[in-house]
Amino acid sequence: MLGAFLAGCGSGNGKDGGETGGTGGTGGAGTTRTMPTAEGNTADGDTIKVGMIASLNGENQPWGVDSKKGAELALEEFLAANPDMKVQLIVEDTNSKPEGGKSAAEKLVGEDRVLAIIGEVASGVTIPAADVCQEQAVPIVAVGATRVDITEKGAAVFRACFTDNFQGAAMAKFAYEDLGLRNVAIFTDRKLPYSTGLSDVFTKAFESFGGKIAIEEFYEGGNFDFKAQLTKIKEANPDGLFCSGYFTEVGPIARQREQIGLNVPMFGGDGWDSTKLIDSGGTGITGGHFLNHYHNSEDRPEVKDFVAKFKAKFGAEPATAMGALGYDAMNVVLTALKASGVKNSKELIGAIQAVKDMKGVSGSITMGADGNAQKPALVLKVEKTGFVPVKQIPFFTFEEKK
Amino acid sequence: MDWGQLPQYLVLGVQLGAVYALIALGYTMVYGVLRLINFAHGDVFMIGAYLAYYTSMVWFDRHAINPYLMLGMMLLMAMIGCAVLGVVIERLAYRPLRSAPRISVLITAVGVSLFIEYAGRLVVQTSPQPSIVQEVNVLAKPMNIWGINVEQSQIAVLAVVLVLMGLLFFYVTRTSMGRAMRAVSHDFNTASLMGVNVDRVVVVTFIIGSALAGAGGMLQATSFGSPLNTFYGLLPGVKAFVAAVLGGIGNIPGAVVGGLIMGVAETAVVWAGYAGYKDAVAFVILIVILLFRPGGLFGSTAEKV
Repeated sequence: MLGAFLAGCGSGNGKDGGETGGTGGTGGAGTTRTMPTAEGNTADGDTIKVGMIASLNGENQPWGVDSKKGAELALEEFLAANPDMKVQLIVEDTNSKPEGGKSAAEKLVGEDRVLAIIGEVASGVTIPAADVCQEQAVPIVAVGATRVDITEKGAAVFRACFTDNFQGAAMAKFAYEDLGLRNVAIFTDRKLPYSTGLSDVFTKAFESFGGKIAIEEFYEGGNFDFKAQLTKIKEANPDGLFCSGYFTEVGPIARQREQIGLNVPMFGGDGWDSTKLIDSGGTGITGGHFLNHYHNSEDRPEVKDFVAKFKAKFGAEPATAMGALGYDAMNVVLTALKASGVKNSKELIGAIQAVKDMKGVSGSITMGADGNAQKPALVLKVEKTGFVPVKQIPFFTFEEKK
Repeated sequence: MDWGQLPQYLVLGVQLGAVYALIALGYTMVYGVLRLINFAHGDVFMIGAYLAYYTSMVWFDRHAINPYLMLGMMLLMAMIGCAVLGVVIERLAYRPLRSAPRISVLITAVGVSLFIEYAGRLVVQTSPQPSIVQEVNVLAKPMNIWGINVEQSQIAVLAVVLVLMGLLFFYVTRTSMGRAMRAVSHDFNTASLMGVNVDRVVVVTFIIGSALAGAGGMLQATSFGSPLNTFYGLLPGVKAFVAAVLGGIGNIPGAVVGGLIMGVAETAVVWAGYAGYKDAVAFVILIVILLFRPGGLFGSTAEKV
């Protein structure tokens, strides 16, 4: 047990890696990002290899598996529509761990010589992989990594999802305007780069709307007892509880919140997106709200088409939004490959930057120079049987007041 | 720091600490008998949590069962399953090394732990990670006692722990097997020369220690409802180990007191406003105790098992 504990110390924490790695600009949207100096990979012959890193095991498994299915579906459709192109997808498991993301990316870039990488679903796992990709001039299109600074690493880093800058501000807006909350407590997973980033943005945005943060408390991923911190939160007497972590901990938090009698509405970000949340949260989580990328029941033709095809191929609707984001991320790369006809990964970076108004399942995707897709978000409500869409929040830019 | 709130945190701390105490007992008993830190003990705790989960699934699907009976079944299955696992570990991994240098056994213990954590993924469900559903924990109702929020399950956890410890104390001090256990702990070789069946004593020690860890796993998984994975026992195992060292390793009452101190320290840190150091406090305590009182609070002179 001791040995595993020592090994465990190195895992799970991607935050430091995120701050040391990468070159790239420091500002937010609009700043030019550094182009890598390496030559990049060039395809051997006709077949173009695209890599994918996904959490097929570990805590983020529900997301990782969905993202892989989405990417496979996108490739299958693309090959059927473009019989003259040869694209091969190589998937590597990251085990939901930052070091898994690094080794998977190194293997794909160094051994398989891929032209692009799709993934990961989690910010903490994407950060080390993005460092590898930026250094080797291989573009990476993250599926669900929403942490703001990821695309600031350099020009090779893109994402198919919105950022926490928008997500945090959108949730702050929803909490202030729709839920009518004024004095909110924040509960953050200190070890999770996604959670700390999202809590930061939420705090700034909520305060700029005129709300107050009653208290911010912390836990660490993998903890199972949250009652002491929740009691502390209860003392601060908030009117809402913002949980910026993943469903794996938010579920037990919700259950324990109810047990200690902290009866305030809960809300959070896209880290809540798994029906496992309802299993582990029980009655404590029903009635909570969270922000997501899209929902299977949406009326847009892209969504209907995608859900039907996904169901036909895999036998069930996608369980999380990562299915659609994996599909969109893969399509971004495929669109760029087809439009440009390049065979070199460094040239592909420019081609991905040029992707404009691509009709994705999760919304229209324009990559642009900052590498972030600009899309609306959807607020979902947690019900006993599943998630129900409540309100769409159109894209807006949140500017921090100086 | 709000002093009026302190009792509330003590209640939470005692619940945590009671479970640490259960695990710490296993560490301390095995150490007393074999002079071995059984690093796989936290993983036995994890298996106990899983057994409770699987039992709850089997019985839950049949609905008709009385919920209290089901909690009892879960506890029983976790304890029996872990006792069996403890015997298997002892037989396969530790007994062949009985006369080997102590460092070999120690490294084997780390190996067993890693084996259960990683190979265990092939056996138990880790993706998606299961959690014991809320309906099972019928004791989660809060009550208000003098302004303190207390759950029935917290009382139940404490009651189960106290009963198990009472039984253990009775067993060790009042039965012939307990006397043999104390003799072996006092001097392994002499005890065997005096006709004590040492192998039997070791097996019984592993049975009891593992069953207690299994009970701890069931109580923890049921009352907190966290998703289970094969590393579930990692941190509780480490904290319980610190608890055993704190109480004086090899000392039964010491393990109990050490566990309770660990639990209360953890919630007291949150109460004082340093929630970020909740897990770190265990190691601070370990360092302090090793610096100033390496034998533990109850010293090494107290009666050992």
